Amino acid sequence: MKLSVGEIKTFAARNGIFMALVLLIAFFSVLNPKFFSTGNAMNVLLQVAELGIIALPLGLLLISGAVDLSVGSIASAAAVNAALTMSATGSIVLGFAAGLLFGALAGMLNGFLVAYLGLNPIVVTLGFLSVWGGYAMLMTNGRTVTRTELPDGFREIGTASIGPLPLRLAMLIAAIALAWYVLNRHRIGREVYAVGGSQRAAYLMGIKVTRIRFGLFAACGVSSALAGIMLAAKVQSVSPAIGLNLEMSGLTVILLGGVAFAGGSGRIGGVVAGLLFFGVLRNGLVFLQASPFLQTIIVGLTLVVAVALDESIQKIVKKSWENRGRAALAERSHPDEDTQSPTGLALRS
Amino acid sequence: MGHMAKAGGPSAAPEAVRLELRSLTVEFGATRALESVSARIVPGEIVGLLGHNGAGKSTLFNVVSGVFPASSGDFLIDGIHVGARSTPMDMARLGVTVIHQEPALAPNLSIIDNLFLGQSDLYPKDRTGAAHRALARVGAALDLDLIVGTLSLGERQLVDLARGMLRGEMKILLLDEPTAALGRTETVALHRLIRNLAAEGVTVIYVSHRLPDILDVCQRILVLRSGRLEVDGPASQFDGQTLAKALAPDAKVNGFAAARTAGPESIGCEQPDAAISCRAGEVVGLFGMAAGEQFRLLESIFGLHRRFGFRLGGRRVAVASPAQAIRHGIHLVPADRENDGLISGASALDTVFLPWYRDGNHRGFWIGPKAGRQVYARARAALNILGPGSSAPIDEFSGGNRQKHLISRWMFPRLPRVLLLAQPTQGVDVGAKADIAQAVRALAAEGATVLVASAESDEIDLLCDRAYVMNGGRIAPVDRTTGFGGKLLSALLELSDRKSSKEEVA
Repeated sequence: MKLSVGEIKTFAARNGIFMALVLLIAFFSVLNPKFFSTGNAMNVLLQVAELGIIALPLGLLLISGAVDLSVGSIASAAAVNAALTMSATGSIVLGFAAGLLFGALAGMLNGFLVAYLGLNPIVVTLGFLSVWGGYAMLMTNGRTVTRTELPDGFREIGTASIGPLPLRLAMLIAAIALAWYVLNRHRIGREVYAVGGSQRAAYLMGIKVTRIRFGLFAACGVSSALAGIMLAAKVQSVSPAIGLNLEMSGLTVILLGGVAFAGGSGRIGGVVAGLLFFGVLRNGLVFLQASPFLQTIIVGLTLVVAVALDESIQKIVKKSWENRGRAALAERSHPDEDTQSPTGLALRS
Repeated sequence: MGHMAKAGGPSAAPEAVRLELRSLTVEFGATRALESVSARIVPGEIVGLLGHNGAGKSTLFNVVSGVFPASSGDFLIDGIHVGARSTPMDMARLGVTVIHQEPALAPNLSIIDNLFLGQSDLYPKDRTGAAHRALARVGAALDLDLIVGTLSLGERQLVDLARGMLRGEMKILLLDEPTAALGRTETVALHRLIRNLAAEGVTVIYVSHRLPDILDVCQRILVLRSGRLEVDGPASQFDGQTLAKALAPDAKVNGFAAARTAGPESIGCEQPDAAISCRAGEVVGLFGMAAGEQFRLLESIFGLHRRFGFRLGGRRVAVASPAQAIRHGIHLVPADRENDGLISGASALDTVFLPWYRDGNHRGFWIGPKAGRQVYARARAALNILGPGSSAPIDEFSGGNRQKHLISRWMFPRLPRVLLLAQPTQGVDVGAKADIAQAVRALAAEGATVLVASAESDEIDLLCDRAYVMNGGRIAPVDRTTGFGGKLLSALLELSDRKSSKEEVA
């Protein structure tokens, strides 16, 4: 079978992030041979573990046609809640419980406002980005909770491992597996795509649109809280700004991974590739000894490029549906076109 | 607006032809939307254009207003050849104005801003004066600063019309279902305006499903059937009956069982404006105006409007949401398949199974790539679906095959108790229509009740054992006998006549 230009373009649009990832790794490896090593690969994975735990449920939320910009602040506030609880009670379990419970409540609050009251998700969660960021500062007076105030066991969590596998990496893998299962093999996944594709059509199919959205916001809240606490365990102290910019990085990862900002399409494989691309980029810049300020600029630029790519990817994919549909019809040479204009310009009759 | 269309007044040059169509043909792929249509229309003539959906009315409008070119043939305006590459803007400059059922105005802007929107000169000299004169000409006494979104539909149509007049000399006015959503008094006013414009020499082409409106205002009637011009004659030759016959000449009866053994009542309503009673095994039509109350009844049964009480299998139920309706075994195929039915990007298989993944053996906890394949294959065979495979996005299928997927969704994974179909064969080709009809009959034979809401008498004729005609809060049953389609239309006429006489008394 001969591949047409259109088919190659479509393939590239759908799988571009994987190719870009390979090229990026090759690029840094050429510049610095030490970059391409198992040790450094593990570094990259550990650096993005928490970001991945946030990005995966956030990706599902984006596919369903909504967005949560408060994930970074929820992570900070949850970590602060966990730290304060732990320093007061000395109990790690209570600390985790306080952090995760807070995350769940914050997520459900977002979900209630967006799904049940129909408020705009961008505005609502932008508001809570500020609310929970401020809350974290207020609770700690802007001060970092230091390692001596935290229970010893908590510090070990950041470096614990299951056999040869670091705990934090294991959590990332579990998050990937869970997200893949929910999106590809569970009923909810189909419904997430449906809600993102057309809320109204989904509602008319009897899909509980509000419940799906609400659940996804709650999941984002819990996973952000978990990510915040794990970050704290990693750096062994809790700054009230520990989750700063996680929403930016999360969105970059997701959009790089080919999830449509408008909702309705996206794959877990893409998000994982986006995550790795992001991790490799940041790690590679460190290898090149780029200024941290330059790194921030480059990360921001990546987000803009990702959005630009999102637009053109969606266009190319839509176009390919049209072409392949026409080709399929032509093969059967069956006059099965309706009487509407093919350009969709036909007036209502 | 100094220049009025005086040059081409009917008395001035009786033999002048304003619009001449010369064997106009439009093809979309293998389908001919228009087939060698020829006609000569003189200035000041009001022509009624009739035909069912897909008969080619919109295509004709689109060609004359420059939206797309004809595949072959051409047309002349005032004897001047119109090039194939003319855009809607060019045609507007040539004096062609189109008024759609829903006027294309910016709802957030004021009347005066809308009037000059899209003109080359947004702020001409004497802007308010020109606007006042244009509004006066269409008989609209409206404050120029009113926001268009606050106007009634009739008022918005007048503003749209005034806007057309500001563009220059109006030569040809195309009206697409202008009265579909208007009340009686608004309709009368619009018709008076149309007559005045015609007296000034404007050629009017008037598309409507409302036969009484056509008969009221038009001097000449053209009927399109499957893209061909089948009837062209003076309006005085027609009345409601003959017009209905011209639209649907041969109502064929094939395999419709007045004799079919229908079961006990499965669904019924008492409301005076929706008093229906349908039995298991019946296919019942609900016929009415375009976007009329028959569609609202379907939506109410499906739980889309306030709690709506009705009888279901002998029990009283009130359904509050689609999810509830589906649990009762009531399934709806909505009229707007692209926006309300299909999810762009979903696979063909998912399109059919999306509402049902909870039902299978896996209870939705493990949906493998093979889940539902067998049922899907059965649906595909039953409805003769053509196109790519089951994992291809639904967008890759053609319109008719997309509609078949939508119908499959509500027929095969789970057998409905009551299947609600809103214009199920709209915009699909003849072969697909037959496939859908066959599947619907088979479903009824299995004991389901099917309700078909439509504004097309031939769609009801194609599918239904009997029908109710709904209009203006009244409902009347019509049985399937010879000339079913014609009977539907005359019943609708009768209902709307009663409605209008009632309104005039009031």
